[in-house]
Amino acid sequence: MAHNQLKSLYTDLKRSFDANSPKCTPALAQLKIGLIENGLLTPQGEHNVDDLVVARDILEIGAIWSIRARDVPSFDRYFSQLQTFYTDYSSVLPPSKNEYPIRGLNLIRLLTQNRIADFHTTLESLPIPADAIAENPYISHPVNLEQWLMEGSYSKVWNARERAPVEEYKFFVDSLMGTIRNEIASCEEAAYESLPLKDALTLLFFSNQSELLKFAQERGWRVDLSGQTITFTKKGEEQAEIPKQKLISSSLAYARELERIV
Amino acid sequence: MPDVEMKLAEEKKEETKAESAPKEPLTPLAEIKLNFTFIDRAVSTLEPRFTHRVLRTLTTLVKKLDDSILRNSIEEAFPKESATKSTLLAWLPSASTDAEMQVDSSATPTTNTNVVTSEPVPEIDIYFRLLILHQLSKSTSNVPKAKQLAIETVQKMQALNRRSLDSIAAKIWFAVERVFELGGDLSEARPMFLAAQRTAALRHDDETQASLINRLLRSYLAYSLYDQADKLVSKTTFPASAGNPQYARYHYYLGRIKAVQLNYSDAHANLQQAIRRAPPATVAPGFYQAVYKLFIVVELLMGDIPDRSIFRHAVLEKPLKGYFEIVKAVRTGSLSQFQQTVLKHAALFQADKTHTLITRLRQNVIKTGIRRLSLSYSLISLKDICVKLHLDSEEDAEYIVGKAIRDGVIDGRLVHEKGWMACRGAGGVKRGYGAEVAEIFSRRIGYCMELHNQSVKAMRYPLNSHRKELADAEGAREREKELAQEIQDGELDDEDLGGEF
Repeated sequence: MAHNQLKSLYTDLKRSFDANSPKCTPALAQLKIGLIENGLLTPQGEHNVDDLVVARDILEIGAIWSIRARDVPSFDRYFSQLQTFYTDYSSVLPPSKNEYPIRGLNLIRLLTQNRIADFHTTLESLPIPADAIAENPYISHPVNLEQWLMEGSYSKVWNARERAPVEEYKFFVDSLMGTIRNEIASCEEAAYESLPLKDALTLLFFSNQSELLKFAQERGWRVDLSGQTITFTKKGEEQAEIPKQKLISSSLAYARELERIV
Repeated sequence: MPDVEMKLAEEKKEETKAESAPKEPLTPLAEIKLNFTFIDRAVSTLEPRFTHRVLRTLTTLVKKLDDSILRNSIEEAFPKESATKSTLLAWLPSASTDAEMQVDSSATPTTNTNVVTSEPVPEIDIYFRLLILHQLSKSTSNVPKAKQLAIETVQKMQALNRRSLDSIAAKIWFAVERVFELGGDLSEARPMFLAAQRTAALRHDDETQASLINRLLRSYLAYSLYDQADKLVSKTTFPASAGNPQYARYHYYLGRIKAVQLNYSDAHANLQQAIRRAPPATVAPGFYQAVYKLFIVVELLMGDIPDRSIFRHAVLEKPLKGYFEIVKAVRTGSLSQFQQTVLKHAALFQADKTHTLITRLRQNVIKTGIRRLSLSYSLISLKDICVKLHLDSEEDAEYIVGKAIRDGVIDGRLVHEKGWMACRGAGGVKRGYGAEVAEIFSRRIGYCMELHNQSVKAMRYPLNSHRKELADAEGAREREKELAQEIQDGELDDEDLGGEF
């Protein structure tokens, strides 16, 4: 594909992306082929700076578009491809205004998939100093979410939904809510004997009772409609099991080692 | 080991009378000269032990070095018209006339008495390059020059391709890394390290491999590339025969990677190994401090409180002050104190690259706080929890306590209608008591076992000494025969028997 053809396709993509039209998907596919032909999809060595910027823009649009199209694996692929531009060519290219929103999106994605170790590894390798994280709205959002999730301030996570710095964040935050609800539910099972329906409704962030009843049914809670309470079935105290196998094998190992020494 | 020293001392006597008193502290010049004989012998006898001996004194030697000493020893080591000599000398700053006069006066007599006629082994050339590299990296203005030398030395080393170079090569790589790091472009050297690492692995060159793995890890971690570092670790096996300093470094890097990946117990084990393998605190205070900083944070993240004695250690007391305050905050479970401390020492933690790890401690602080409350109160309202732990709202407190109950931090109940938390005494004491103790016991035993086995492995037996023993045994048998003869002859009284055995 010739260079100027690529350029015109790129402007087309930009237009349809701004208009939020579904034409983006075929345009992106075509552009990716064009990028491969020009060796720009995963560039190596020296390249024209302008070309690299265009390639980066295309991939960024692709990443954001995949979120809008609710296609997380595709976002993952775009993000991996963008890594080359963000790390290897960081000294050559002018910084992109989309870089941090996309990095933030990636962090949230890791959070929703409960890949906390990856989340922290990624966070650690961000090219900004740790005390500047709080000043970067795109990064501080997922960082705060993680902190609240870990300490259990679920209401803060719920409230943060409204404060997403970019529209696309909301997609992940919504799927995060499902996880949170399950977390809260498991906490409630352990912490309460019974709970009034009304309070359970607010604690679990449900807007009406029928949703709550459906959720309660899924988790096997006993609902007393006349008394308006939920009773949590107690799982019997788990018997502390003696790890016989392990103890035996380690005792044998000690004996063997002792024999060897003496 | 003592037998080697003895042998060397003997041989030294034969060689030169001047060096017959090895107990006197050697001048750097004499030391370098002595080192040549060792390197020479290492090459001729294919015994790397001699080279190790030379390299063991490297750090102390480097501290004493200056340009004129290097110049003198190069003059002495090489024949007059040697090309190697002139290239080596070119790397050193040209001596001022004053220094040159000194060089002449000291160099002439020695060259007269001990004229070197043949070109020495290439190992000596490389050894000199190593010394020059260290010398050049002492001042920042020499860095570009040192970098050039580093690249050239590496090329030369690879062209020579001698196995007797291996242990010196390992040290060269360290010097190369140091030079590149001083120049601030460590990432540039990475492809070079990777290629060399591949070659070293293929040749089973353990020392170089160990050194290079550490170089690579360091370069990855310097740029926070934890993913790559983790992949490197999983794709390579660290040579088991590597020396303690390399192991200590390796464990430290591993600990760092594991800590970032939230694998605190592994990180803890690695860091503990690093501390145990590290040279004494007074010799390498920098490493000791760095490991302990990370160690304390990891221990806190695991929910343990580090030993108070760590913070009283002479080498650690001052640099760990900020960390000590963090520990205090975590121990008391005071969120506000914790946050203040983090803010106060932010720059320090940033420099130590522990900042993100420390921010992860927030939840631990809260958990400790809740735990303390649950121990001291049997019934406490959520509002009071909120006030005591400096939480933002009662609603948060409810969720947080709920989570703590589920995670088994405390044993209690929430009563929502009344808005309080009821605790059931100190939780978690009876649970898993036996198994936990057994596990810790087995971990300690495991460590002792390993120490024992390692020590057995590390024992060295002097070569050929079993012959002497055999001879002794022969003699003993002879004596025994005589003894038996004497007993038979009835000439032996009890006293003699006592004396004999």
